[in-house]
Amino acid sequence: MTLAQERRQRLAAAMTEAGIDAMVVYGNAWQGDYLRYAADFGILEGHGIALLQANGEFAIYLDSAVEFERAEAETTGVQVRFARDIAHGVGQELDRIANQNLVAAPRRFLPRFLTDETRRYSLADGTALMDSLLMRKLPIEIECLRRAAALADEGYAVFREAARPGRPQYELVAEVEAFFRAKGCPDNFMILGSGGVDVRGMTPPSARQLAKGDLVTTELTPAIDGYFAQICRTLVLGRASPQQQRAFGLFLEAMEAGIAAVRPGATAADIARAENDVFRKYGLGDYVTNKYTRVRGHGLGLFVDSKPQLLEDVDLPLEAGMVIIVHPNTYHPEVGYMVLGDALVVTESGAEVLTRTPRILFEVPA
Amino acid sequence: MRRGLIAWSKSELPSAVFEHRIARARQAMAAAGIDALVLYTNNSRTAGVSWFAGFIPYWSEGLLIIPRQGTPALVVGLSRRVQFWLEATSHVPVHNAPRVGTEAARIIAEGAPGAIVGIVDLNGLPTGVADDMTAAGGGLRLIDATQSVQQLRAAAEPCEIALAAAAGRIARRALSLSRADDQEIGPLLATAEREARSLGAEEIYLAAAPDLERSRHLRRIEGQAQLGHSAAVRATVAYKGHWVRMTRTFRVAESAFAEARNRFADAVAMLPDPKGFAAASSWLIEGCRTAQPLEPLAGSLVSEPVALPPGALVSVQASYEIRGAPILIGAPALLGHGGEAAALLCQPDFADAARAC
Repeated sequence: MTLAQERRQRLAAAMTEAGIDAMVVYGNAWQGDYLRYAADFGILEGHGIALLQANGEFAIYLDSAVEFERAEAETTGVQVRFARDIAHGVGQELDRIANQNLVAAPRRFLPRFLTDETRRYSLADGTALMDSLLMRKLPIEIECLRRAAALADEGYAVFREAARPGRPQYELVAEVEAFFRAKGCPDNFMILGSGGVDVRGMTPPSARQLAKGDLVTTELTPAIDGYFAQICRTLVLGRASPQQQRAFGLFLEAMEAGIAAVRPGATAADIARAENDVFRKYGLGDYVTNKYTRVRGHGLGLFVDSKPQLLEDVDLPLEAGMVIIVHPNTYHPEVGYMVLGDALVVTESGAEVLTRTPRILFEVPA
Repeated sequence: MRRGLIAWSKSELPSAVFEHRIARARQAMAAAGIDALVLYTNNSRTAGVSWFAGFIPYWSEGLLIIPRQGTPALVVGLSRRVQFWLEATSHVPVHNAPRVGTEAARIIAEGAPGAIVGIVDLNGLPTGVADDMTAAGGGLRLIDATQSVQQLRAAAEPCEIALAAAAGRIARRALSLSRADDQEIGPLLATAEREARSLGAEEIYLAAAPDLERSRHLRRIEGQAQLGHSAAVRATVAYKGHWVRMTRTFRVAESAFAEARNRFADAVAMLPDPKGFAAASSWLIEGCRTAQPLEPLAGSLVSEPVALPPGALVSVQASYEIRGAPILIGAPALLGHGGEAAALLCQPDFADAARAC
């Protein structure tokens, strides 16, 4: 059985258990994981809506003609339909089965036309059902993530080689993306930052040129068969200053504390707290608040920023088979923004770390 | 996920351009009785907000508010930690909020309680954003304002034409420098990717038919794929918010490709009349009307074509059979005004990588 078939079988079983007659699954280039899970299509342009029915009927609607052509070539076992007015196209089909138990995921991204209360049918929220499937990985999914993590390591080596004073940020991305394309990896999420205390976060590349002494941060998130694995690392152009080395030591201690806390039953909050307590220990508790940082890690899978988010108010227990990244990325007042993160699988006894790039503050020639 | 150079070039897109567009929108709003115009943006529906404000999200979502009076506002789900980037890429002031619908409704109601809010593509607005706007109170009445904005931007402005030509140059150079010398397509795609991003492309999507004898469908390549006797690659390039597609067929006789090019150019020149494409196995015309950068407007697949407006920028692609050889070709074009012939904005001639459009 292929990966797509296994996923679809799992989804169908979950629908049967929940008494769901039809699942409406939405996707776009930003939030494509639900659609990829259901229909095995990695959408890039426009809207995509899949309709999976308990009777086995399965169709995907796309409002981009080129995506329609792609889906015909890239999917199996699903009827592909081009509908420029996708909301009306799907709506007509839902009208036909209006008396059935219909759910949608992720419901909040579905075009409002389809969820308007004046519709003949009712669309309940099936997002949690799919979130559960997305978080709890099959062995074959974990294997994709292992391969993606290995690719992330390789990609970071390319990044290190490319990072030299005078180069604009976007050229580094060009090198890494070319490397991934040559390896058959069509998708990657990548942001970066370069500079010193003026840098508060990572963004898409700018024309800013790298300079000697810069801290250069990046997170690479290549995908294998749609599964994204992430690595976060920081390098220095030239020799690291004592302040930069000291700051890095804090990040290393925080990440390792977080990883050490990973085990089935530990909550996302436990992991976040383990990381944040290290910062608090050194009097830098302010820098683990949302003024300076977003999350202390997150899930990985068919989306680059999946659930669970590692935050001190997220009480979701980890389970074996979940894949996450632990990354205490944040601003350090002495040196600027720093990142460090490794992807891992939660195992029965703890964690299997997937990314293998050394956990050091890299120094590259300047 | 957008990974390319997202930057506002004030020389290529001066502030005056945005101010003029906003002024025209306000005239249309007055005529339609709309108090505030709202446009939604996310990673795949960038073109509406970027046309008025220059902003392009690489992540998350946003709402642009253009009130009839007062300063426009861009509400984004991105955090203040990237404020330096937001302010460098947006023409209008940025507000950060985790729930953009709630914040947008609050801003509008503060300025005009009970306002009539014109939303571009109201039907397509995400349910969560629409629900938040409604739940925020303020007595706002949401109506669809899609047509008003479509009419404003039907004919391309000189700066849009220049930026689309720049995107075309990047696409052409990327495809020109790519070589189908290997057994597998990976190195070819890698070259195109590197070249486009090094030239400042905001994004490049590559779709390929590695073996045209097996399939003419252009798909995204995951893993490796063997190159056949002939292959086609389509590069979709975004530059400063402007999207074009160009398609090249590799490993075909130059005479066959030249013949396809001539047929293609002749068919384009007849637009908006599509009869020139009767000889094509398939054809497609895409352009931007509101938020989707390349929306299908007409083609062999499109049963209800949209009338192509004079002066519109489009991307055209076609598939031909030339002496038994399948040839795919594509390039951006500009429709004529007042009876003028349409013309290719960038020639699909890949022999000279350095050639200008």
